[in-house]
Amino acid sequence: MFDFQGYGPRLLEGAWLTAELAVLSLIAALVIGLMVASAKSSRSMTLKSVATVYTTLIRGVPDLVMMMLLFYGGQIGMNMATDGLNAWLGTDMFINVNAFAAGVVTLGVIYGAYMSETFRGAFLAVDAGQMEAARAYGMSPWLAFRRVRFPLMMRHALPGINNNWLVLLKSTALVSIIGLSDMVYVADQATKATHQPFLFMLPVGLGYLAITAVSELVVTGLKRRFDVGFSQAT
Amino acid sequence: MADSEIPLVVRDLHKSFKDVSVLNGLSLEAHEGDVITLIGASGSGKSTFLRCMNLLEVPDAGDIIVHGEPVAFKQHNKTREPASWKQVERIRSRLAMVFQGFNLWAHMSLIGNVIEAPIHVLGVPRRQARERGMALLERVGLADRADYFPAQLSGGQQQRGAIARALAVDPEVLLFDEPTSALDPELVGDVLAVMRELADEGRTMVVVTHEMDFARDVSSQVIYLHEGRIEEAGAPADVLKKPNSPRLQQFLAPRF
Repeated sequence: MFDFQGYGPRLLEGAWLTAELAVLSLIAALVIGLMVASAKSSRSMTLKSVATVYTTLIRGVPDLVMMMLLFYGGQIGMNMATDGLNAWLGTDMFINVNAFAAGVVTLGVIYGAYMSETFRGAFLAVDAGQMEAARAYGMSPWLAFRRVRFPLMMRHALPGINNNWLVLLKSTALVSIIGLSDMVYVADQATKATHQPFLFMLPVGLGYLAITAVSELVVTGLKRRFDVGFSQAT
Repeated sequence: MADSEIPLVVRDLHKSFKDVSVLNGLSLEAHEGDVITLIGASGSGKSTFLRCMNLLEVPDAGDIIVHGEPVAFKQHNKTREPASWKQVERIRSRLAMVFQGFNLWAHMSLIGNVIEAPIHVLGVPRRQARERGMALLERVGLADRADYFPAQLSGGQQQRGAIARALAVDPEVLLFDEPTSALDPELVGDVLAVMRELADEGRTMVVVTHEMDFARDVSSQVIYLHEGRIEEAGAPADVLKKPNSPRLQQFLAPRF
């Protein structure tokens, strides 16, 4: 029973792929989110409008459509680029868009948009005097961000980040449409072959629960870390 | 005296916000050991003037010269900007500011606040910064509160801590922006006492304040601002005891 009719190893591989994809996409989303939030609060009108177009577009289009656009569109774009280079250099290159990388990029780009709104709200929640003091003591913009703005902002951003992360994790199931064998895809294949949905779908559900349980622990730790100076108030 | 020997020279500053002109040609020279107090009604431009000195506000025209080094400016899209933010950061680290709202970094302990700029901006080794930081907290009477966070301290303690943070960078000039205005009356005395000590030991200070007793007893020069202009300036004995301008007379008149 516990060899899952021979699908056990593939299910485990699928679970690993899901976890890997989710964590890498999260990192991409956080980096993109921070950059876009900074762009939105910058003084440059160009940066501001590019960032606004990005978040409006991404949040208005279904994840599934976005993923297909980026995956197939990415391949077409890559082909056009290599064709151009080949014509110019007289070579014969072909670059295949890797499905895993495409998944990470797509999820990162989509959830980066949601993260950016979370970060923007959190930036605004930090008292302006804190950054003013950082500037007044000669901190460079990067130092002030690292030492003052980021740690103060994270307190406000964590609940939103956690929320986005949980949605992102579950969106990883979408990557099966671009040919990746995540755990949902494997379980679906197995169910179709064996007609035993509970045997495969229940463990998959538990797999997601296991990942979220671990992430709750991490979030609790981070919350404690960024509450320093606030929770001790007398 | 050559500019290079004067800690802070400010010449003919102008500043407008939108169409409202806030500073209309303000100048000041803070010599070694001077305590200059800026007084005036709210809206007179005294805080903006002070904030221009370390470029928290960028003046539209005028010069700021710190120990002979003028801040370089350039025009960018019709607004004036410092030519080099690196230079501004260097100059800011030599002029320490104490804010009305304290602005201690809320996520750092008191000693963490005091050693932050020395370590990360000036590159002082951590142990050395900590030793000196503890000595400064001792000075302002907060040695036993070193590991407390700002939220655990009273306003007066936070402001004395903020003064220790300012002293920690060994500034050429201390800038005070209404340091006692946000404090409960019974906490004002402790902060002023620390400031008096600093004045006595020859620190160069520019202080925006409403504390007329402090201005009278401690300052070497009092500047009265009105609508972004210097209406009257001089020794406190002259300016505060025998004001010439009717506006200043009215400003100083007892309110009760």
